[in-house]
Amino acid sequence: MNVKIEMGPGSAIAKVALAPNETFTAEGGSMVAMSGNMSIETTTHKKGKGSIASGLKRMFSGEGFFMNHYTASANGGEVILSSSLPGDMMVKELQNEKLVVQGGSYVASSTGVDIDFEWQGMKSVFSGESIFWLGVRGTGSVVLNSFGAIYPIEVDGEYVVDTGHIVAFTENLSFTISKAGKSILSSFLGGEGLVCKFKGTGTVWCQSHNPQGFGQAVGPKLKPRS
Amino acid sequence: MSMKFEFSLDKKPDYGFITVKIPAGQTLKVEASAMASMDTNVIMKTKMKGGLGRLLTGESLFINEFTAEKAPGEICLAPSSPGDVDHIYLDNDTIFMQNSAFVASAMGIETATKWQGLTKGFFSGEKLFLIKCSGTGDLWFNSYGGIFSVDVDGDYVVDTGHIVAFTGGLEYKISKVGGYKSLFLSGEGLVCKFSGKGKIWVQTRKVSPMVSFFWPFRPQKSN
Repeated sequence: MNVKIEMGPGSAIAKVALAPNETFTAEGGSMVAMSGNMSIETTTHKKGKGSIASGLKRMFSGEGFFMNHYTASANGGEVILSSSLPGDMMVKELQNEKLVVQGGSYVASSTGVDIDFEWQGMKSVFSGESIFWLGVRGTGSVVLNSFGAIYPIEVDGEYVVDTGHIVAFTENLSFTISKAGKSILSSFLGGEGLVCKFKGTGTVWCQSHNPQGFGQAVGPKLKPRS
Repeated sequence: MSMKFEFSLDKKPDYGFITVKIPAGQTLKVEASAMASMDTNVIMKTKMKGGLGRLLTGESLFINEFTAEKAPGEICLAPSSPGDVDHIYLDNDTIFMQNSAFVASAMGIETATKWQGLTKGFFSGEKLFLIKCSGTGDLWFNSYGGIFSVDVDGDYVVDTGHIVAFTGGLEYKISKVGGYKSLFLSGEGLVCKFSGKGKIWVQTRKVSPMVSFFWPFRPQKSN
Protein backbone atom coordinates (compact mmCIF):
# COMPACT_ATOMS: atom_id res chain seq x y z
CA MET A 1 0.00 0.00 0.00
CA ASN A 2 1.66 3.14 -1.26
CA VAL A 3 -0.12 6.41 -0.39
CA LYS A 4 0.39 9.79 -2.02
CA ILE A 5 -1.32 12.94 -0.75
CA GLU A 6 -2.16 15.53 -3.42
CA MET A 7 -3.98 18.89 -3.64
CA GLY A 8 -3.40 19.82 0.00
CA PRO A 9 -3.90 21.72 2.15
CA GLY A 10 -7.43 22.73 1.11
CA SER A 11 -8.69 19.98 -1.22
CA ALA A 12 -6.47 17.04 -0.30
CA ILE A 13 -6.96 13.51 -1.62
CA ALA A 14 -5.08 10.30 -0.79
CA LYS A 15 -4.11 8.16 -3.79
CA VAL A 16 -3.72 4.61 -2.51
CA ALA A 17 -1.80 2.29 -4.87
CA LEU A 18 -2.33 -1.41 -4.11
CA ALA A 19 -0.08 -4.33 -5.02
CA PRO A 20 -1.71 -7.38 -6.68
CA ASN A 21 -4.31 -8.92 -4.33
CA GLU A 22 -3.49 -6.42 -1.58
CA THR A 23 -6.25 -5.36 0.85
CA PHE A 24 -6.72 -2.19 2.86
CA THR A 25 -9.46 -0.71 5.03
CA ALA A 26 -11.15 2.69 4.67
CA GLU A 27 -13.84 4.60 6.49
CA GLY A 28 -17.29 4.34 4.86
CA GLY A 29 -18.05 7.20 2.48
CA SER A 30 -14.44 8.21 1.82
CA MET A 31 -14.05 6.66 -1.65
CA VAL A 32 -13.98 9.14 -4.56
CA ALA A 33 -12.83 6.91 -7.41
CA MET A 34 -11.06 3.59 -8.02
CA SER A 35 -9.89 1.12 -10.64
CA GLY A 36 -12.65 -1.03 -12.08
CA ASN A 37 -11.31 -4.34 -10.79
CA MET A 38 -11.53 -3.64 -7.07
CA SER A 39 -13.58 -5.94 -4.83
CA ILE A 40 -15.25 -4.42 -1.77
CA GLU A 41 -16.45 -5.98 1.45
CA THR A 42 -18.32 -4.03 4.12
CA THR A 43 -18.01 -5.10 7.75
CA THR A 44 -18.52 -3.54 11.13
CA HIS A 45 -14.93 -4.06 12.14
CA LYS A 46 -11.75 -5.76 11.03
CA LYS A 47 -12.11 -7.97 7.97
CA GLY A 48 -13.07 -11.46 9.10
CA LYS A 49 -13.56 -10.41 12.71
CA GLY A 50 -16.75 -8.39 12.42
CA SER A 51 -18.71 -7.62 15.54
CA ILE A 52 -21.61 -5.28 16.07
CA ALA A 53 -20.14 -4.04 19.35
CA SER A 54 -16.98 -2.73 17.73
CA GLY A 55 -19.05 -1.13 14.98
CA LEU A 56 -21.21 0.59 17.59
CA LYS A 57 -18.16 1.85 19.37
CA ARG A 58 -16.84 3.28 16.15
CA MET A 59 -20.14 5.02 15.47
CA PHE A 60 -19.96 6.75 18.84
CA SER A 61 -16.44 7.86 18.12
CA GLY A 62 -17.70 9.99 15.22
CA GLU A 63 -16.55 7.52 12.57
CA GLY A 64 -18.84 5.69 10.17
CA PHE A 65 -20.38 2.54 11.65
CA PHE A 66 -19.04 0.44 8.83
CA MET A 67 -15.62 -0.08 7.34
CA ASN A 68 -14.98 -0.93 3.70
CA HIS A 69 -12.22 -3.40 2.80
CA TYR A 70 -10.87 -2.95 -0.72
CA THR A 71 -8.96 -5.78 -2.40
CA ALA A 72 -7.10 -5.28 -5.66
CA SER A 73 -7.18 -7.84 -8.47
CA ALA A 74 -4.14 -9.78 -9.67
CA ASN A 75 -3.10 -6.64 -11.57
CA GLY A 76 -3.08 -4.33 -8.54
CA GLY A 77 -5.16 -1.18 -8.47
CA GLU A 78 -5.81 2.30 -7.14
CA VAL A 79 -8.35 3.82 -4.75
CA ILE A 80 -8.72 7.58 -4.26
CA LEU A 81 -9.99 8.80 -0.89
CA SER A 82 -11.07 12.22 0.35
CA SER A 83 -12.84 13.72 3.34
CA SER A 84 -16.07 15.65 3.65
CA LEU A 85 -14.76 19.02 4.83
CA PRO A 86 -12.12 21.25 3.24
CA GLY A 87 -8.72 20.32 4.57
CA ASP A 88 -5.53 18.32 4.40
CA MET A 89 -4.58 14.68 4.76
CA MET A 90 -1.44 12.89 5.98
CA VAL A 91 0.11 9.42 5.98
CA LYS A 92 1.91 8.00 9.00
CA GLU A 93 3.98 4.83 8.72
CA LEU A 94 3.68 2.85 11.95
CA GLN A 95 6.48 0.50 13.05
CA ASN A 96 4.92 -1.64 15.74
CA GLU A 97 3.66 1.48 17.50
CA LYS A 98 0.42 3.18 18.39
CA LEU A 99 -1.28 6.48 17.60
CA VAL A 100 -4.26 7.93 19.39
CA VAL A 101 -6.48 9.48 16.70
CA GLN A 102 -9.27 12.01 17.21
CA GLY A 103 -12.69 10.50 16.30
CA GLY A 104 -13.32 12.10 12.90
CA SER A 105 -9.73 12.11 11.60
CA TYR A 106 -9.33 8.43 10.68
CA VAL A 107 -9.55 7.71 6.92
CA ALA A 108 -7.80 4.44 6.10
CA SER A 109 -5.13 1.93 7.12
CA SER A 110 -3.30 -1.12 5.83
CA THR A 111 -4.14 -4.64 7.05
CA GLY A 112 -1.28 -4.75 9.57
CA VAL A 113 -2.91 -1.94 11.53
CA ASP A 114 -5.62 -2.53 14.15
CA ILE A 115 -8.26 0.11 14.88
CA ASP A 116 -10.09 0.17 18.16
CA PHE A 117 -12.08 2.44 20.38
CA GLU A 118 -9.86 4.22 22.86
CA TRP A 119 -11.10 5.34 26.26
CA GLN A 120 -9.17 8.32 27.52
CA GLY A 121 -11.11 8.55 30.75
CA MET A 122 -13.68 10.99 32.09
CA LYS A 123 -11.39 13.91 31.32
CA SER A 124 -12.38 13.58 27.65
CA VAL A 125 -16.05 14.02 28.53
CA PHE A 126 -15.33 17.41 30.02
CA SER A 127 -13.34 18.62 27.04
CA GLY A 128 -16.67 19.29 25.30
CA GLU A 129 -15.27 18.41 21.88
CA SER A 130 -14.49 15.03 20.33
CA ILE A 131 -15.03 12.89 23.34
CA PHE A 132 -13.94 9.75 21.57
CA TRP A 133 -10.63 8.56 20.32
CA LEU A 134 -9.41 5.69 18.18
CA GLY A 135 -6.37 3.63 19.11
CA VAL A 136 -4.53 2.75 15.89
CA ARG A 137 -1.71 0.25 16.39
CA GLY A 138 0.53 -2.15 14.50
CA THR A 139 2.82 -1.95 11.50
CA GLY A 140 1.74 -0.29 8.26
CA SER A 141 0.25 2.93 6.88
CA VAL A 142 -2.45 5.07 8.44
CA VAL A 143 -4.20 7.86 6.51
CA LEU A 144 -5.67 10.75 8.51
CA ASN A 145 -7.56 13.91 7.58
CA SER A 146 -7.99 17.32 9.15
CA PHE A 147 -10.16 20.40 8.91
CA GLY A 148 -7.71 22.99 7.59
CA ALA A 149 -3.97 22.35 7.47
CA ILE A 150 -2.03 19.80 9.58
CA TYR A 151 1.10 20.73 11.51
CA PRO A 152 3.19 18.41 13.70
CA ILE A 153 4.58 19.50 17.06
CA GLU A 154 7.48 17.62 18.65
CA VAL A 155 6.73 17.63 22.36
CA ASP A 156 9.46 17.22 24.94
CA GLY A 157 8.11 18.22 28.30
CA GLU A 158 4.76 19.99 28.18
CA TYR A 159 2.67 21.46 25.37
CA VAL A 160 -0.84 22.91 25.18
CA VAL A 161 -3.31 22.25 22.33
CA ASP A 162 -6.91 23.46 22.16
CA THR A 163 -9.21 20.43 22.35
CA GLY A 164 -10.74 21.09 18.92
CA HIS A 165 -7.37 21.21 17.16
CA ILE A 166 -6.02 17.70 17.82
CA VAL A 167 -5.69 15.26 14.91
CA ALA A 168 -3.57 12.54 16.54
CA PHE A 169 -0.71 11.96 18.96
CA THR A 170 1.83 9.25 19.71
CA GLU A 171 1.02 6.86 22.52
CA ASN A 172 3.92 7.89 24.75
CA LEU A 173 2.27 11.27 25.33
CA SER A 174 -0.33 11.63 28.06
CA PHE A 175 -2.70 14.55 28.40
CA THR A 176 -4.82 16.26 30.98
CA ILE A 177 -7.67 18.67 30.34
CA SER A 178 -7.07 22.05 31.86
CA LYS A 179 -8.05 25.69 31.63
CA ALA A 180 -6.25 27.90 29.13
CA GLY A 181 -5.99 30.80 31.56
CA LYS A 182 -5.24 31.13 35.24
CA SER A 183 -8.89 31.00 36.26
CA ILE A 184 -12.00 29.40 34.79
CA LEU A 185 -13.46 32.86 34.19
CA SER A 186 -10.51 34.15 32.20
CA SER A 187 -10.38 30.92 30.19
CA PHE A 188 -13.97 31.26 29.04
CA LEU A 189 -13.93 35.04 28.61
CA GLY A 190 -10.75 34.61 26.58
CA GLY A 191 -12.70 32.34 24.25
CA GLU A 192 -10.28 29.48 24.72
CA GLY A 193 -12.31 27.31 27.12
CA LEU A 194 -10.55 24.05 27.82
CA VAL A 195 -7.26 22.84 26.44
CA CYS A 196 -5.28 19.60 26.37
CA LYS A 197 -1.99 19.74 28.20
CA PHE A 198 0.34 17.07 26.81
CA LYS A 199 3.19 15.62 28.84
CA GLY A 200 6.09 13.42 27.76
CA THR A 201 8.17 13.00 24.62
CA GLY A 202 6.42 12.41 21.31
CA THR A 203 4.52 14.04 18.44
CA VAL A 204 1.11 15.67 18.37
CA TRP A 205 -0.42 16.53 14.99
CA CYS A 206 -2.65 19.62 15.13
CA GLN A 207 -5.23 20.97 12.68
CA SER A 208 -5.17 24.68 11.90
CA HIS A 209 -8.96 25.03 12.19
CA ASN A 210 -11.59 23.80 14.60
CA PRO A 211 -14.69 22.25 12.91
CA GLN A 212 -16.90 23.10 15.92
CA GLY A 213 -15.84 26.73 15.67
CA PHE A 214 -16.64 26.80 11.95
CA GLY A 215 -20.04 25.20 12.54
CA GLN A 216 -20.85 27.72 15.25
CA ALA A 217 -19.76 30.62 13.05
CA VAL A 218 -21.96 29.66 10.10
CA GLY A 219 -24.77 27.46 11.49
CA PRO A 220 -26.79 30.13 13.36
CA LYS A 221 -26.99 32.22 10.16
CA LEU A 222 -28.68 29.36 8.27
CA LYS A 223 -32.42 28.68 8.13
CA PRO A 224 -33.89 26.86 11.15
CA ARG A 225 -34.11 23.09 10.85
CA SER A 226 -37.59 21.98 9.90
CA MET B 1 -11.17 25.83 -37.85
CA SER B 2 -11.02 27.64 -34.57
CA MET B 3 -8.30 29.72 -32.97
CA LYS B 4 -6.88 28.93 -29.55
CA PHE B 5 -7.23 31.56 -26.84
CA GLU B 6 -4.27 32.60 -24.74
CA PHE B 7 -5.22 31.98 -21.10
CA SER B 8 -3.96 31.17 -17.61
CA LEU B 9 -5.36 29.17 -14.68
CA ASP B 10 -4.25 30.69 -11.36
CA LYS B 11 -4.50 29.93 -7.62
CA LYS B 12 -5.44 26.30 -8.11
CA PRO B 13 -6.84 24.16 -6.53
CA ASP B 14 -8.69 26.09 -3.80
CA TYR B 15 -9.40 29.48 -5.37
CA GLY B 16 -8.90 28.71 -9.05
CA PHE B 17 -9.79 31.39 -11.58
CA ILE B 18 -9.35 31.83 -15.32
CA THR B 19 -7.84 34.76 -17.22
CA VAL B 20 -8.49 34.80 -20.98
CA LYS B 21 -7.04 37.19 -23.54
CA ILE B 22 -9.61 37.94 -26.25
CA PRO B 23 -8.14 39.08 -29.58
CA ALA B 24 -9.82 42.05 -31.30
CA GLY B 25 -13.05 40.97 -32.99
CA GLN B 26 -13.29 37.65 -31.12
CA THR B 27 -16.05 36.53 -28.74
CA LEU B 28 -16.15 34.26 -25.68
CA LYS B 29 -19.24 32.47 -24.28
CA VAL B 30 -19.37 32.79 -20.49
CA GLU B 31 -21.73 31.33 -17.89
CA ALA B 32 -23.81 34.17 -16.39
CA SER B 33 -22.24 35.61 -13.23
CA ALA B 34 -18.82 34.03 -13.80
CA MET B 35 -17.21 37.33 -14.87
CA ALA B 36 -15.10 38.75 -12.04
CA SER B 37 -13.28 41.55 -13.86
CA MET B 38 -12.45 42.71 -17.38
CA ASP B 39 -10.91 45.63 -19.22
CA THR B 40 -13.01 48.19 -21.06
CA ASN B 41 -12.25 46.79 -24.52
CA VAL B 42 -14.55 43.90 -23.68
CA ILE B 43 -18.29 44.40 -24.26
CA MET B 44 -20.95 42.08 -22.83
CA LYS B 45 -24.13 40.88 -24.52
CA THR B 46 -26.68 38.60 -22.80
CA LYS B 47 -28.07 35.70 -24.84
CA MET B 48 -30.73 33.13 -24.08
CA LYS B 49 -29.07 29.82 -24.86
CA GLY B 50 -30.53 26.36 -24.81
CA GLY B 51 -33.96 27.44 -23.54
CA LEU B 52 -35.83 25.01 -21.32
CA GLY B 53 -33.09 22.40 -21.43
CA ARG B 54 -30.72 24.58 -19.52
CA LEU B 55 -33.44 25.27 -16.98
CA LEU B 56 -33.71 21.49 -16.35
CA THR B 57 -30.02 21.06 -15.67
CA GLY B 58 -30.12 23.63 -12.90
CA GLU B 59 -27.79 25.89 -14.84
CA SER B 60 -28.66 29.51 -15.17
CA LEU B 61 -30.66 30.19 -18.31
CA PHE B 62 -28.26 32.78 -19.58
CA ILE B 63 -24.93 32.67 -21.28
CA ASN B 64 -23.27 35.98 -21.82
CA GLU B 65 -21.12 36.80 -24.83
CA PHE B 66 -18.01 38.86 -24.24
CA THR B 67 -16.52 40.48 -27.31
CA ALA B 68 -13.29 42.44 -27.64
CA GLU B 69 -14.66 44.97 -30.08
CA LYS B 70 -11.97 47.34 -31.33
CA ALA B 71 -8.83 46.24 -29.50
CA PRO B 72 -7.67 43.05 -27.69
CA GLY B 73 -9.19 42.59 -24.23
CA GLU B 74 -8.71 40.55 -21.10
CA ILE B 75 -11.32 38.96 -18.83
CA CYS B 76 -11.04 37.17 -15.47
CA LEU B 77 -13.60 34.44 -14.75
CA ALA B 78 -14.31 32.84 -11.37
CA PRO B 79 -16.90 30.26 -10.36
CA SER B 80 -19.31 31.01 -7.52
CA SER B 81 -17.90 28.52 -5.00
CA PRO B 82 -14.27 28.07 -3.96
CA GLY B 83 -12.64 25.27 -5.90
CA ASP B 84 -10.71 24.34 -8.98
CA VAL B 85 -10.79 25.22 -12.67
CA ASP B 86 -9.56 23.30 -15.70
CA HIS B 87 -9.44 23.53 -19.49
CA ILE B 88 -9.72 21.31 -22.55
CA TYR B 89 -9.37 22.10 -26.25
CA LEU B 90 -11.93 20.15 -28.23
CA ASP B 91 -11.01 19.26 -31.79
CA ASN B 92 -14.30 18.22 -33.37
CA ASP B 93 -14.93 16.26 -30.20
CA THR B 94 -17.53 15.79 -27.45
CA ILE B 95 -17.30 16.02 -23.69
CA PHE B 96 -20.02 15.47 -21.05
CA MET B 97 -20.03 17.72 -18.04
CA GLN B 98 -21.78 17.89 -14.67
CA ASN B 99 -24.65 20.42 -14.75
CA SER B 100 -22.86 23.22 -12.92
CA ALA B 101 -19.34 22.75 -14.31
CA PHE B 102 -19.52 24.94 -17.42
CA VAL B 103 -17.63 28.25 -17.10
CA ALA B 104 -16.75 29.45 -20.60
CA SER B 105 -16.03 28.36 -24.16
CA ALA B 106 -15.08 29.49 -27.62
CA MET B 107 -17.97 30.24 -30.02
CA GLY B 108 -17.21 26.97 -31.83
CA ILE B 109 -18.47 24.89 -28.89
CA GLU B 110 -22.16 23.96 -28.80
CA THR B 111 -23.71 23.21 -25.41
CA ALA B 112 -26.76 20.98 -25.16
CA THR B 113 -28.39 19.29 -22.20
CA LYS B 114 -28.40 15.55 -22.04
CA TRP B 115 -30.75 14.59 -19.26
CA GLN B 116 -29.85 11.24 -17.71
CA GLY B 117 -33.43 10.09 -17.28
CA LEU B 118 -34.89 7.84 -14.60
CA THR B 119 -32.70 4.79 -14.98
CA LYS B 120 -29.37 6.51 -14.85
CA GLY B 121 -29.55 9.72 -12.93
CA PHE B 122 -32.47 9.32 -10.57
CA PHE B 123 -31.44 6.30 -8.53
CA SER B 124 -27.92 7.52 -8.03
CA GLY B 125 -29.15 9.89 -5.34
CA GLU B 126 -27.23 12.70 -6.99
CA LYS B 127 -28.58 14.91 -9.72
CA LEU B 128 -26.60 13.61 -12.63
CA PHE B 129 -27.65 16.19 -15.17
CA LEU B 130 -25.08 16.33 -17.89
CA ILE B 131 -24.31 19.06 -20.36
CA LYS B 132 -23.03 17.90 -23.73
CA CYS B 133 -20.34 20.16 -25.16
CA SER B 134 -19.18 19.49 -28.70
CA GLY B 135 -17.37 21.20 -31.52
CA THR B 136 -13.96 22.76 -31.94
CA GLY B 137 -12.38 25.28 -29.59
CA ASP B 138 -11.43 26.04 -25.97
CA LEU B 139 -13.63 24.99 -23.06
CA TRP B 140 -13.19 25.91 -19.39
CA PHE B 141 -14.93 24.23 -16.44
CA ASN B 142 -14.92 24.29 -12.64
CA SER B 143 -15.85 22.34 -9.52
CA TYR B 144 -16.16 22.65 -5.77
CA GLY B 145 -12.92 21.14 -4.38
CA GLY B 146 -9.87 20.25 -6.46
CA ILE B 147 -9.99 18.65 -9.92
CA PHE B 148 -7.77 15.75 -10.98
CA SER B 149 -7.92 13.83 -14.24
CA VAL B 150 -7.70 10.10 -14.87
CA ASP B 151 -6.73 8.53 -18.20
CA VAL B 152 -8.99 5.53 -18.54
CA ASP B 153 -8.12 2.46 -20.57
CA GLY B 154 -10.42 -0.34 -19.47
CA ASP B 155 -12.67 0.06 -16.43
CA TYR B 156 -12.76 2.86 -13.88
CA VAL B 157 -15.23 3.69 -11.09
CA VAL B 158 -16.17 7.16 -9.81
CA ASP B 159 -18.65 8.14 -7.07
CA THR B 160 -21.52 9.81 -8.98
CA GLY B 161 -21.24 13.02 -6.95
CA HIS B 162 -17.55 13.43 -7.78
CA ILE B 163 -17.82 13.44 -11.59
CA VAL B 164 -16.90 16.76 -13.18
CA ALA B 165 -16.58 15.75 -16.85
CA PHE B 166 -15.67 12.88 -19.17
CA THR B 167 -14.81 12.46 -22.81
CA GLY B 168 -17.60 11.43 -25.17
CA GLY B 169 -16.09 8.08 -26.22
CA LEU B 170 -16.46 6.48 -22.77
CA GLU B 171 -19.28 4.07 -21.97
CA TYR B 172 -20.84 4.55 -18.55
CA LYS B 173 -23.48 3.02 -16.32
CA ILE B 174 -24.67 3.67 -12.78
CA SER B 175 -24.20 0.70 -10.48
CA LYS B 176 -23.73 -0.21 -6.84
CA VAL B 177 -20.43 -0.67 -5.10
CA GLY B 178 -19.75 -4.24 -3.84
CA GLY B 179 -22.66 -6.48 -2.82
CA TYR B 180 -26.10 -5.46 -1.57
CA LYS B 181 -24.80 -5.20 1.97
CA SER B 182 -22.26 -2.67 0.76
CA LEU B 183 -24.94 -0.71 -1.10
CA PHE B 184 -26.76 0.20 2.11
CA LEU B 185 -24.00 0.04 4.68
CA SER B 186 -20.78 1.07 2.97
CA GLY B 187 -21.68 4.77 2.86
CA GLU B 188 -20.60 4.78 -0.77
CA GLY B 189 -24.06 4.70 -2.38
CA LEU B 190 -23.99 4.37 -6.14
CA VAL B 191 -21.09 4.83 -8.49
CA CYS B 192 -20.57 5.45 -12.18
CA LYS B 193 -18.72 2.62 -13.93
CA PHE B 194 -16.82 3.85 -16.96
CA SER B 195 -15.35 1.63 -19.64
CA GLY B 196 -13.40 2.19 -22.83
CA LYS B 197 -10.68 4.66 -23.59
CA GLY B 198 -10.83 8.32 -22.60
CA LYS B 199 -10.39 10.81 -19.82
CA ILE B 200 -12.39 11.61 -16.67
CA TRP B 201 -12.14 14.71 -14.49
CA VAL B 202 -12.95 14.11 -10.82
CA GLN B 203 -13.59 16.61 -8.00
CA THR B 204 -12.00 16.01 -4.57
CA ARG B 205 -14.91 17.42 -2.50
CA LYS B 206 -18.70 17.53 -2.70
CA VAL B 207 -21.04 20.27 -1.48
CA SER B 208 -23.58 17.90 0.14
CA PRO B 209 -21.36 16.62 3.03
CA MET B 210 -20.60 20.24 3.91
CA VAL B 211 -24.35 20.94 4.03
CA SER B 212 -24.86 17.89 6.30
CA PHE B 213 -22.03 19.06 8.53
CA PHE B 214 -23.89 22.32 9.25
CA TRP B 215 -27.18 20.58 10.15
CA PRO B 216 -26.56 20.28 13.94
CA PHE B 217 -25.41 23.91 14.09
CA ARG B 218 -28.60 25.31 12.52
CA PRO B 219 -31.14 26.99 14.82
CA GLN B 220 -34.18 25.01 16.01
CA LYS B 221 -37.53 26.16 14.64
CA SER B 222 -39.42 28.00 17.37
CA ASN B 223 -43.23 28.18 17.29
